Amino acid sequence: MFNANVGFNHFFKPLKHIAPLVVLRIAFGFIMLVSVVRFILKGWINAFYIKPLFHFTFYGFDWVKPLEVAGMYALFAVLVIASIMVTIGLFYRVAIVAFFICFTYVELLDKTTYLNHYYFISVMAFLMIWVPAHRYFSADVIRKPGLAVTKIPAWAINIFKLQLVLVYFFAGVSKLNYDWLIAAMPLKIWLPANSNLPIIGQLLTLSWVAYVFSWFGALFDLFIGFLLLSSRYRKPAYVLVIIFHLATGWFFKIGMFPYIMIFVTIIFFSENTHIRVIDFLKRLLLLRQNAPPRTYYLSPVKQKIIYTLLALYFIVQLLLPFRYLFYPGKLYWTEEGYRFSWRVMLMEKGGTVFFHVKDPETGRRSEIINSQYLTNFQETQMATQPDMILQFAHFLAGEYQKKGIKNPIITAESYVTLNGSGSRLYIDSTVNLAAEKETFGHKKWILPFHDKDK
Amino acid sequence: MCKFISTAFLAFTAFVLIQSCKKSDVWNSGDKASSAFDRTAMLTNISTNIIIPAYSSFQASAVNLDAAVSAFNTVPNSANLTTLQTAFQAVYKQWQATSVFEFGPAAQIQLRVNTNTYPADINQINSNITSGTYNPGLLSNLAAKGLPALDYLLFGVGADNNAIVAQYTTDANAANRKTYLAALSAELNTNATTVLNGWATYKSTFINANGTDVGSSVGLLTNQLVYDYEILKNFEIGIPAGTQSMGTTYPQKVQAYYSKMSVQLALLHIQVLQNIYKGGSGLGFDDYLTTVNAKYNSGSLNDAINNQFAAAIAKLQLLTDPLSANIQNNNTAVLAAYTELQKLTVLLKTDMTSSLGILITYGDNDGD
Repeated sequence: MFNANVGFNHFFKPLKHIAPLVVLRIAFGFIMLVSVVRFILKGWINAFYIKPLFHFTFYGFDWVKPLEVAGMYALFAVLVIASIMVTIGLFYRVAIVAFFICFTYVELLDKTTYLNHYYFISVMAFLMIWVPAHRYFSADVIRKPGLAVTKIPAWAINIFKLQLVLVYFFAGVSKLNYDWLIAAMPLKIWLPANSNLPIIGQLLTLSWVAYVFSWFGALFDLFIGFLLLSSRYRKPAYVLVIIFHLATGWFFKIGMFPYIMIFVTIIFFSENTHIRVIDFLKRLLLLRQNAPPRTYYLSPVKQKIIYTLLALYFIVQLLLPFRYLFYPGKLYWTEEGYRFSWRVMLMEKGGTVFFHVKDPETGRRSEIINSQYLTNFQETQMATQPDMILQFAHFLAGEYQKKGIKNPIITAESYVTLNGSGSRLYIDSTVNLAAEKETFGHKKWILPFHDKDK
Repeated sequence: MCKFISTAFLAFTAFVLIQSCKKSDVWNSGDKASSAFDRTAMLTNISTNIIIPAYSSFQASAVNLDAAVSAFNTVPNSANLTTLQTAFQAVYKQWQATSVFEFGPAAQIQLRVNTNTYPADINQINSNITSGTYNPGLLSNLAAKGLPALDYLLFGVGADNNAIVAQYTTDANAANRKTYLAALSAELNTNATTVLNGWATYKSTFINANGTDVGSSVGLLTNQLVYDYEILKNFEIGIPAGTQSMGTTYPQKVQAYYSKMSVQLALLHIQVLQNIYKGGSGLGFDDYLTTVNAKYNSGSLNDAINNQFAAAIAKLQLLTDPLSANIQNNNTAVLAAYTELQKLTVLLKTDMTSSLGILITYGDNDGD
């Protein structure tokens, strides 16, 4: 019989070499540095956080507002510096806390830019706050040799493995549905769009290829985490990780995500491998840092706090992806409970939304040019997400109140197509959205997704 | 631990598999064996048979206009004005076939806003004439140049042609007005020539960028097709008819207000967009959508788009020039045309782009 206590102890207690954690710190810090610099160079600070007049904040986080121009750039400078400091392990705890806060703050500014992999970065940075990743092969150890340790409790490494297993597994589970497996959607649309790629381009236009990719993708996501955990299959599994992520990076416009995953999954390798990596880096840097064997000590109180915190954290992580079960209707259509659930690349969804403002006193009506207030990116994202449509309706109500209309009636005529379904009315266009409140409850004004064929 | 995980995992997988076997509402795409579409051939067809001929004609009409301006400025009389007006109308008509291609060489010089920002800013035009200085690079001059300004200068500065000729002969600012007229025509001509020449080298770039991402030619063409279509819907019809101003109409905001050919131009414009969609008589978006078997309701998306083009054109044909008068007398008809145009927006912007996996965004961003 399974003994919870044994499992718990096995996960938390045994002493492990610190090397895997240190390599993870370096890998994560480095890939974050690349990601943040890339973000800056692409001009996205301006495009996403300075240019827009209006931001789609997350429910409950309306108080998160962007800084002035100089402030936003300074914030990204902090992110760059913090990434470097994490990589080299200089004032590590300060750096990783600063990174977590700044990065999460930026993500909270506007849900237009929400990506699972940005959420993943926040999650990883959060977990890294609690571990002593700077206690070996780091600038902090050079600064204060007394900090050096060689052995740490297993939880400091296992939490990352658990997190990664959850990410892959939930991504796999979310693919187990009719659209993905039986209709091979959206890959049936997306793959032929890449038919210009050399060598395999023509292959991508074949229907059966979409099925192979769909099924392989689902199986990969479901099992890869467990394969990485097993010492027997780890190496071939990691080769699969590289192939899978590079291929998706080649086919789809998903930015840094493939590289981030390739970098962080190295945590699964054995401590010997990681010790060799560190030895190699030492020789490369001409460093002769040889720490005497010492064990990381955490006071019982601190230990209890961290254990409780991590337990709570993982319970939330386990439950969050299932919150969609509380909402009626088709998840992909309503997107109620969609975010923060590792649902990656699952749908081809597009929409157009026309907002109308009506003055109840005169009965006169106006159509809104969305681009007057929104960037194209915001408009595109809003068109298929009810909570954003509602937010914008509230914003418009405010704008027209300023223009002297007392109780403007805001309606949205919105058409959405999902996985090639053909566009259909999405939002009840008779409902005055100005009078609807944002809640965690179901939005009754989202029209159900019906198949018009039948 | 392992045992527990694997048991839980198996139970969970079974649960999810059962869940997923419930047939969802999603439409099942037809089982066509292949959806290979030769985008290169489509781009070759559209650039060779539609885009470059459009720019050639536009440039030729601009050269013709420039000549007519010279003749009129040398001998400003009624006959030369009529010739010039005809030459101008030809340019404006040809512009309808050119406006949509705002990528490559046209995007580099921002041809669209430099050619056709309306309504014309009369005050700015007159102050440019009075002061005798004109800087084409100024943002404030966008509405004081190009076709709308010429529209005003050739049709709007007097009640009839005699009065207009007087503005170029006896008026105190006659000389300056002629200079301004010549400057605007020359600028139009230069721009048309620059873009036409640019296409000589850009054509191969255009054909070779045969992917579907934002920077690809199919992406650019689709985005601009939708964007230009929205210009037609909003600026040529909607805004003057008051759709965005709580019902207050702005008849003077129509395209070609002074030459009174707004409906004629709008019809030309939509027919040009329809022709691009069809790829003329060669490969176009219609063939592309048919190849990927795109559906709309129970029929094909291509049929739906063709029908909606026809419906919108039919409604536009019920309107009469001058559109400004039509808006004042019978705005219901104008608004009815707008409604039909609106429906086509959805089909082009949402259904077409989504079926082809094209990113309908004018910027750049990651997805996941």
